[in-house]
Order: sequence, then C-alpha cells, then structure tokens
Amino acid sequence: MKKSYLYLAGLVASLAMAGTATQAVADDEITRGQLMASSCKACHNAAGAQQGVTELSHFPAEIIASQMRAFRDGDRAATIMDRHAKGYTDEEIDAMAAYFGRF
Amino acid sequence: MHDFSRRNFLKVAGITGAAAFTGIGCAANGVQGADKAHIVVVGGGSGGATAAKYIKQFSPATRVTLIEPNATYHTCYGSNWVIGGFASMGDIAQGYDTLRDDHGIEIVQDRVTAVDAAARSVRLAGGDSMSYDKLVMSPGIDFRYDAMPGISEADADRIPHAWKAGAQTELLRSQLRDMPNGGVFVMVAPPNPFRCPPGPYERVSLVAHYFKQEKPRSKIIILDPKDAFSKQGLFEEGWAEHYGDMIEWRAGSEGGRAEEIDVDNMTVMADSGFERVRADVLNFIPAQRAGQIAHDVGLTNDAGWVPVDQLTFKSEMDDNIYVLGDASVAGAMPKSGHSANNQGKIVAAAIVRELSGQEPINPSSANTCYSLVTPEYAISVAAVYQYQDGAMSGVDGAGGVSPMGASSSVRRREAGYTRAWYDGITHDIWG
Repeated sequence: MKKSYLYLAGLVASLAMAGTATQAVADDEITRGQLMASSCKACHNAAGAQQGVTELSHFPAEIIASQMRAFRDGDRAATIMDRHAKGYTDEEIDAMAAYFGRF
Repeated sequence: MHDFSRRNFLKVAGITGAAAFTGIGCAANGVQGADKAHIVVVGGGSGGATAAKYIKQFSPATRVTLIEPNATYHTCYGSNWVIGGFASMGDIAQGYDTLRDDHGIEIVQDRVTAVDAAARSVRLAGGDSMSYDKLVMSPGIDFRYDAMPGISEADADRIPHAWKAGAQTELLRSQLRDMPNGGVFVMVAPPNPFRCPPGPYERVSLVAHYFKQEKPRSKIIILDPKDAFSKQGLFEEGWAEHYGDMIEWRAGSEGGRAEEIDVDNMTVMADSGFERVRADVLNFIPAQRAGQIAHDVGLTNDAGWVPVDQLTFKSEMDDNIYVLGDASVAGAMPKSGHSANNQGKIVAAAIVRELSGQEPINPSSANTCYSLVTPEYAISVAAVYQYQDGAMSGVDGAGGVSPMGASSSVRRREAGYTRAWYDGITHDIWG
C-alpha cells in the first residue's frame, strides 16, 4: 500500500513539473570540463582520501592546475599521476581544475 | 498489490509520455526534457551503477530505475585477493542501499528477460514490464564454452572460471585450500578480448603468494593461447623476485594453446595432443562474449560484442539503447571496471544532453589498472583516451606501465594505492 502511494506521488510530481522541465535543464548544461573532472573522481573522492589519495576539493583551482602541469612536465615525481597528466592540454587541465576548484 | 499498482502506474505514465511527445503540455521547442524522462538501467555492476548514479547527479529530477538480479554485487576486481587468501568476500561486496536512499534511484531486484525496442519496454523475470525513454545496458560478459572441446558450462562447479565474482570465487579459493602441498594449479587463460587483461596474471601471482606461505612445494602452470599479455615484463620481474620458478607460463606458440579439456581426469590437452597437463586444481577461464541479454536483443556483432557510437556509447542497432562496459566495443579502452566507470559517466552525460536537445560532448576518458604481485608489491597500467576518428583512442605520450626495476618502496606505495583505488572507485560507483 505504501509503495502505491509513492508511485502516485511520483506521478503527481512528474505531471506538476511537466511545464517547467525544459527550462531547468538548459540552465544546468553539463560541460566538457565537468565530464572530464568526473573521470578524476573514480579515485579522488572521500573514500580514496581516507587511503591517502589527494582530496581535490580541498584545493583552489590554481594549485590543482599547477600540480597537474608539474606531473605532466616531469617537475613533480609520482607513481601514476605523471602518466595520467601527459594526456591533457593546458586548456583541459584548466577546465578540470576549475570544476574542482569551485567547491 | 504491489504488482497491480505498478502496472497501473506504468499505464498512466505511458499515457503521460505519449502526451509529451505529441506536444500537449510540453515546452515550446518540443524536446522532451531530461527531467520528465524515465531511464532504465539494466545491470548493477561498475558500468550500470555508475550510469544510474551520474544521470541523477547531472539531472536530479530524471527518474532512474536500476534493474539488477542480485542484492549484493561482488566486484571481479579484488576477487583475486580473496583467492590469494588475504581478503574476505565481504571486502568485495557492494550493495544498492545508498544508490536508493541517498541518490533517489529506484532499485528493482529482478532479471530482464526481454527488451521490446519498438515499444521501448523491458520484461522482467518476475512478470512485470517497464517502459523507458532511454535504456542503458551494462550486461557484462558471458562465456563461450563451445570454443573449448570437452568442457561445458555445467562443469563450472568442478572446474571454476571464477571470472564472475561470487560463488565461483569461493569455489576456487576452497579448492586451493584443499589442495595438498606439492599439487599443481593449472590456469587456462582466455584469448583476447576478455574482461580484465592483467587479471589472469595477477591471479596466478596471488595463488603463488598463498602457496609460498602454505604449500611451498606446489607448482603453477599457465596455458595461454596468447604470445604476450598485459604488463608482462613487470609480472615476470615480480614472479622471479618473489616466487622463483614456481610459476611457469607457456605461450600459445610454444605449446600453451589448450585444445581440449578432459574433465574427468582434470587434464588439459595442448600442442596437437603432444602435451597433457594434469591439474590438482584447474581454473579454466573460457573465451568471452557480451552478456546474453545483448545477444537476445540483437545488439551484437559477429564477434559477439556490442558495437556502439563511441562518442556516446549508443548502440549502433537502436537509437534508444546505450551499451557500456565489458560488453561494448570501446576502441582502445580495455574491458575493465575503471573503463566501465568512465563510460558510465559518458553515457549519463550523453543521455541528459540528448534529452535536453544538446549535442554530445567529445569525451575524454581514463583507465587505471593496478595488479598485486604480492599483497605489498603492486604494478599498474594507466591510459588517457579521447574520441578520434570514430573511436576511443589512447592519447599519444600519455599512460603506460610502472617502471621496470623500481625499488620495493615504489612497489609498496603502488600496493597502497591499489587499495585506495578499490575504496575510491567503489565509493564513486555504489557510495
């Protein structure tokens, strides 16, 4: 019985939103920087941080970008980030860093 | 009551959906917004669960239903730790409560038995049908037992593949535990392409780790149809350092290609019958293909995998079905949990943007695979991918494997990152 109420509530909600839905999405367009940054989150998230992986949301965008360039250009030693960082242009690094740095 | 109300709901929802398509009550541009859509995701492994979660992250109002037959999912990655005797099944178990309670995904514990692509609906083993606007399928792999004479799927309860984690993992672990000191563990490795390219070689490493401690007179033989394998130099360096001559790898061109398995005598025939290798524990990892449901729906190619538009992972066969993970043909991306996780995000973005009338984003993607050679010694391979000329291709100059000849402290740090990777990616997928 409880379940059918929930379904009904969902239906009412979706009917209520029908008029405004398209607008809301356009404001929230997914960017390439966001999609690329989401790839970093496979490791760089709260659970990874507990095991010593850097929590990127703790750093401003400029620091994230400068460290990515340092990994890429061989100025900072790493076990694996050097190999990843070589896959990105300056523009891509800035776009990813801007996404994380916002938080 | 439950079934009845669900069916009624679907009927009403179907009418609402039809109204939206004809323009009644819809916004002026005629595009059905992502907010009103129902996305059904089939398969709660790394690819499917990521897609479901990230659709909700990108578009919280979108209704997402994840259909998965198992209440608990055991990751294939990490299952070699269980086989090596230093992790439990609980350590590799993942559930769906957080996806349901914190991310608002409807979880349906059932199996999809059919997809009606024309009607955009899936049928469940429990009898219900469910309609969708977009369908995401992450069906994983199934095995091609027909490619090896002498053995069938029914033999898997004696000769485990342990290439889907769960009961098969526990079976192989218990067989190794029961094996006497001085026994022979034989692995028949699969031909390309297959799930988790370094996986077979990590497995023998960790079986060797177990033998070294508990059964040091034992022997390991890998019969391989291939002449090379992932991170080969690094694995062989680690094997020599830690296990001496315990592990023997036989390349396909040097008699390693298994031709028939005599199940009753636990014997593998190779090298045109000249070689008969008897095992005390036999791990046959069959040739692979996309999960059965992808074949049933007609999404596969002649090789048994699912061709997709690698920009979006939309099926080449159906405009409303996206297929990702091990089942898909994904260019240079390996069949790995990390690839599936990345593809889940690409699919989520592609669907939300398409439903919002926007062009797809040219994706960039990454893969990281750690392998343990011992619990404190790990090696890795990394790559960055971009969509180029119709396929996901590795970015030149990026990626590669851990250095040869690195110090034990580097290997130990990578072993630490192996565990961090597991905790991180499982949190990103199911947390």
